[in-house]
Amino acid sequence: MKVSELAQKAGLKAFNPIPDKEIQGVYISDMVSDIIGIREGNLLITLQTHKNLIAAANLVDVAAIVFSRAKSPAEDVVALATKAGIGLLGYEGDTWTLAKKLVELGIK
Amino acid sequence: MANVRGGYLVVEGCFHCRQRTSFFSEEPVPPIDDYREGDHFWTHLGDFQASKFDLKCETCGRDVALKDVMAVMLCLRCDPTCGAYKAGSDAGESKTWVYVALCSDTSHVAGTCVSDEGLRALNEYYNEGLRDPAKKIIVVPCRLRRSVDTCQGVVLADVGLTELY
Repeated sequence: MKVSELAQKAGLKAFNPIPDKEIQGVYISDMVSDIIGIREGNLLITLQTHKNLIAAANLVDVAAIVFSRAKSPAEDVVALATKAGIGLLGYEGDTWTLAKKLVELGIK
Repeated sequence: MANVRGGYLVVEGCFHCRQRTSFFSEEPVPPIDDYREGDHFWTHLGDFQASKFDLKCETCGRDVALKDVMAVMLCLRCDPTCGAYKAGSDAGESKTWVYVALCSDTSHVAGTCVSDEGLRALNEYYNEGLRDPAKKIIVVPCRLRRSVDTCQGVVLADVGLTELY
C-alpha cells in the first residue's frame, strides 16, 4: 500500500507534502538509537517529534513517519523532514489503536 | 547489522586540558563518577541511551567490528569550512546526506579516529537499500569536523529518556 492510500483510509493528517512511497513494513519505536537498525521502507510510528528522529529516519529511508496521540512536530522538524523527502503524518488515537487499524487495512 | 547491543553513550571532559572523550557503557546505569587518569581529570558531561552494533557481510559472512564508532551524527551543514560540509559539497547532489561517525577520541589528541574499514562498511550498509536512486548517504569520520564545540549536527542518540525531573 502507498502512503497516500493509507493516509486517506486511516484518517491521518499530513504535516508536509507526502512523497507517495510504498509501505514495506511497520516499525514502532520511540528510541532514535533503536531506529537506526531497521531496514528501508518501513512506516515508522512514534511519539517522538524531535529532530533526532528525522535524522535517524532519513538514514534508514523510512516510507513515512506517523506521530500518534495527536503529537505535532515543530516547524524546524517539518522543514528537515521535507528536505529529506520524508512524509510526516499525525494520528489522533494511541499507537495500539493505530497498529490494529494498520493490520485491518492489510499492512503487515 | 550484527551484535546489536543497547547502552549509553557517555561523554566526559577534562577541565584541565578541555579535551573531550566518550565511550559506550553497557552497564545498567552509566558511570557518572569523576576520576583522574594521568594528567587528566575526567568529569561526566552527559550520557544518552544509544545502540552499538557491528556489520556483517551477507555475502561472505565477514564481520566488521565497529568498536571505534561511538555514535552517528547527521551533518546540518553549518560551516562551509568544515570537512564534513565539504564532503557533502563534493558529492554535488541535492539528495546527498552526510553523516559523521563519531569516535571516542572526541578531541583527536591521540590522532586516532574511526577505521577506514568501518567507514567503508557503514557507507555500504546505509546506501545498499536506498530506494531513491538519487539519494546518497555519505558517512565520514569525525576527524573531518572543524570544531566539536561549534558543530550543530544531530547525534542519533536518545536524550533524556531515563531522566527524572
